[in-house]
Amino acid sequence: MSDATELAERAGGADPREGLRAVAALRRLLEQLEAVQVRSARHQGWSWQEVAAELGVSRQAVHKKHGRR
Amino acid sequence: MFERFTGSAREVVRGAAARAERGGESHVAAEHLLRQLLDGSGTPGAVALAAAGVDSEERRAGVVRGLDEARRRGGLTKSETEALAGIGIDVAAVVDRVESAHGPGALARRRAWRRGRTRFDADAKAVLERSLRIALGRGDKAIGDQHILLALAAAPGIPAEVLADHGATYAAIEAALPAVQRAG
Repeated sequence: MSDATELAERAGGADPREGLRAVAALRRLLEQLEAVQVRSARHQGWSWQEVAAELGVSRQAVHKKHGRR
Repeated sequence: MFERFTGSAREVVRGAAARAERGGESHVAAEHLLRQLLDGSGTPGAVALAAAGVDSEERRAGVVRGLDEARRRGGLTKSETEALAGIGIDVAAVVDRVESAHGPGALARRRAWRRGRTRFDADAKAVLERSLRIALGRGDKAIGDQHILLALAAAPGIPAEVLADHGATYAAIEAALPAVQRAG
């Protein structure tokens, strides 16, 4: 199989393994990005309430997850 | 479990914890165990690692570089990075953007160390438990640093991926063990 065909199959293919792997990887990336952004917001003096509102979650949830920062 | 660890295995565990503490991190991760193993010399784990292909200062530095790169990507493995590319997400571009806004290594940062003992994270704990199972499975009475190395190579994740990139797959390490145990 040529590289181009293989690439096209991977991108548009319906292989659940590829799709699920991408979702799991995205979740991990999301967690890292969230940590970076929450840390940055707190450093800039945002309250937990403000951070929670932007993330669309409760203040308790965000505090429990990222607390003491 | 720790009473069954040999001196070399205890040294890896202690050294990994000391590394995490020096880095100001709250948890010991599996990568700390591998970094510590790379520094060993003369132990069964160090000999097995060399026999499996990580046999020069240059190659050891290559493994460390691989770990550093994965850390910079926020702990994503290469296969995770490829999976994301498959849905149109360029992880390198994301890392660049985040670093330009938040400083170098922004995604690599871990939770800061707080008071109290440095703890092992879930992956590192799983590695140590797996090293016990591997030792039992092989009929070895004690857990040496070679079993920790095998355990690192056995589970999908950054340490296994970086090791395999340098030829040190589970099979290669396992194949090196009989000679190691005769020597050690």
